[in-house]
Amino acid sequence: MNLHEELMERLAHRRSAQLGGLSPAAYAELLLTVRESPSSYVDDPHDQAFMQLVDAVDRVLRSRDDDEFRDDESFMEERTQRMARFGRDCAQALAVAPDSIHARLLRILASDYEPDRQLDELLELDRSVDAELGPMTLPESGDAWTDVFLRGRLRIKAALSRTCLDSARYRMANDYGQALIADSPCDALGARHTCALSLARLEDEEGFEALDARFDRRGDSWQQLGRTILFYKLGRMPAARRALMGFANLCEGGPYALLRPVMVDTYLPDRPAAEPYSFAEVTLAVHEADPVVCDVPDFCAWAEQQANFGDQARIFAERNGFGW
Amino acid sequence: MSYDPHREDYQRLGLRFARSLDGKDPAAATRAFASFSRRFSQNRDSLPQSDADRAFHLVAEAATLIDYELPFADDDHAEQLIDQGHHLLDEAIALDERCHDAIRMKQAAESHSFESYYDFLASNADSVRASCEEARAQTHDESPERALLEADIAMRPYYRWLATQAGKAVICGRNREAIRLGEKLLDLDPQDSSDVRFTCAIAYAKLEDEAGLERFAARTKPLMRAGTEDAWMQLARISLAHKRHDMDEASRLLGRLIGSYPHAALALTSQKELPDGVFARLAVAPLSEDELILAVSEGTVLLQEGRDDAGRGVLGTWVARHAGLGSSWEGRR
Repeated sequence: MNLHEELMERLAHRRSAQLGGLSPAAYAELLLTVRESPSSYVDDPHDQAFMQLVDAVDRVLRSRDDDEFRDDESFMEERTQRMARFGRDCAQALAVAPDSIHARLLRILASDYEPDRQLDELLELDRSVDAELGPMTLPESGDAWTDVFLRGRLRIKAALSRTCLDSARYRMANDYGQALIADSPCDALGARHTCALSLARLEDEEGFEALDARFDRRGDSWQQLGRTILFYKLGRMPAARRALMGFANLCEGGPYALLRPVMVDTYLPDRPAAEPYSFAEVTLAVHEADPVVCDVPDFCAWAEQQANFGDQARIFAERNGFGW
Repeated sequence: MSYDPHREDYQRLGLRFARSLDGKDPAAATRAFASFSRRFSQNRDSLPQSDADRAFHLVAEAATLIDYELPFADDDHAEQLIDQGHHLLDEAIALDERCHDAIRMKQAAESHSFESYYDFLASNADSVRASCEEARAQTHDESPERALLEADIAMRPYYRWLATQAGKAVICGRNREAIRLGEKLLDLDPQDSSDVRFTCAIAYAKLEDEAGLERFAARTKPLMRAGTEDAWMQLARISLAHKRHDMDEASRLLGRLIGSYPHAALALTSQKELPDGVFARLAVAPLSEDELILAVSEGTVLLQEGRDDAGRGVLGTWVARHAGLGSSWEGRR
C-alpha cells in the first residue's frame, strides 16, 4: 500500500471535512494542492504522526535495498540498528499523537517479538482501539477501506491474521482474515492470501474453493501455492500435480522461489505491493507459506521431482544470475 | 498398550500347541501344557509351528533389536544391530512371503522419505487386508475363545499396517487421511489394540477441529484407562486451547497433564524426539513416564509448528516454559 498517497488522502479529507464537505471536483482540486505541499496541510497531531511514520518507513525500506549485498553478520547488525531507529521513530510519533493507531501498530511490528507475544500485543491494541473508538461503522460504500481514517483499524486485523498464521493458529488466522474481507470487500490488504494459506493448511477444500469463488477466481501466487498444498495434503496427487504445473507456469520464477526460499523482512505495516504472478509476489507467497510448507516435510522434494519443475527452477536461477 | 511382539509370538505357539493337545485325555494335556512355557523359552524348535510362526518369531527378534535396543546403542553397535535386524527380516520373508510385518519393517528402512514409505503402505494396504482375511478364514479352532484369539492374531499385521499408515499420514501432513484410516481401524478393531486413537487425536488438533475431537473423545471414552485421558488426547486439547488463544485454559490443561503422568514436567520441558517404532508404537506401561515421552515425541507435529526462530515451535516453546514453571509444584506432591 502506498503510504504517501494515503497521507495525501488523509490531509485532503480532513481539510475537506473542516470546510464542511466538498464536491468531488473540488475535492480533486484540493488533493492536487495537498500533493504539492502536504506539510502545510498538517494541522492535526494524528496526521503529523502519520507523516513522520511515512518518512520512517521510507527510511527503513530504502536501507533494505542494500541488504542482499551484506553478509549475515553485517546484515544482522545493520538490521538491529535500523529497527532500533525505527522503534525510536515510532516513539516520537507517539509523543505527537499518543493514540495514533499506526504508531502503535508499527511499534509492535518492529519489535521482533516471538509470534505468541506479538499476538498478545496486537490483541491488546485491537481491544484498546475498540474501547477508545467504539465498534467500527462501515461507510456508505460498504467498504471500510474507502474511509481513509479506518485503514489503521483494518491494518490491525490484517496483522492479527498474519500473526495467527505465524503462530500456527490457522483457524483464527482465517477468521480474522474473513472478518477483514467482510469489512473491506476490496481487500486492499490481501487478507485473502492469509486465508488461502490457512485453509490449505487446515485441509479445508470447501472453504478454499469458496474463498477463490468470492474473488472471482482471479488467482494469485498464494492461491496457486495453497491449492497445490491442499491437494497434496488431501492425497489427490494428479490434482496436486496439475496445480503445481499451474503454479510453475503462472508465477514468474515460482519453482525457484519455492525451492530456494529467501528471507523476507518484516512488513511495515503492509505486505509490499507486487504485480500479480510476478517473481516479487511469489517470493512473498512462499515466505508467508513457510510454516505451512514445513508442515508437509516432503512437499518440496515432491515438487522438485515433478515433470521439469526442478529444471525450471535451475534455468530461472541461471538466467537471472542467482545461485543454485 | 500397543503390540508386544514377544507376547504375540508366545500366543501363536501357545494356540498351536493347545490345538495339538485337543482330543488327548485332560490329565495328559494339562501335564503337557505345564511344560509349554519352559519349552517356549528353552527349546522352541521342539514345539509344533508353521513357517509363518517361525517368521513371526524372527520379526519379534528384529523388533527387539530395532525398536528397543537401537535407540540406546552407540554408533558402532548401532550398525551391527541394524544389520542383524535386517538379516532377521530377510529370513522371515524367506520363510513366509506373506509376513507383512517383516515386509513393512524392511520398507521402513529402505524408504528414503516419509512420502515414499507412506506411498508404499497406501498402495499395498488392500492386498495386505485380503491376505490377512484369507489367513483368518483358514483358522479353525474347536474352542471358541481360541478361535477368537486366532482370528485376531491373523488380522494384526493388517491392523499394524493401517496404524503405521495413519501415523505416517500425520507426519506427511495428511491429517484428514490419518483420521479416515484411524476410523477404519477402529471399526475393524473396536478395542483399538493399535492405540490408533492416539494418532487420531493429534490429527484432529492439526485440523483444529474441536467438534470432531469432542465427538471422537466421546466415542473412544470406553477405552480410557484408569479414568485418565491419555497424553495424546490431552496434548491435542492443550494445542487446541493454544490455537484459539485461550491461554488460561491451555495452562489449566497443561497442569492437568502434568498431574496425570509421573515426572511430566521433565518430559514436557525436554520434548525428546524418538524414532517411531518400526514394528509398532513401543509397548510401554499405560500412564507411565515412558508413555508421556512417546506422546510428546509424536506430538512434535503440534509442538514444532509455526514460525519460531528457536526452532522449537510456538507451542513447544510455550509448553517448555510453562511446564518448567510447574516443576517445583510437581516436586512437592
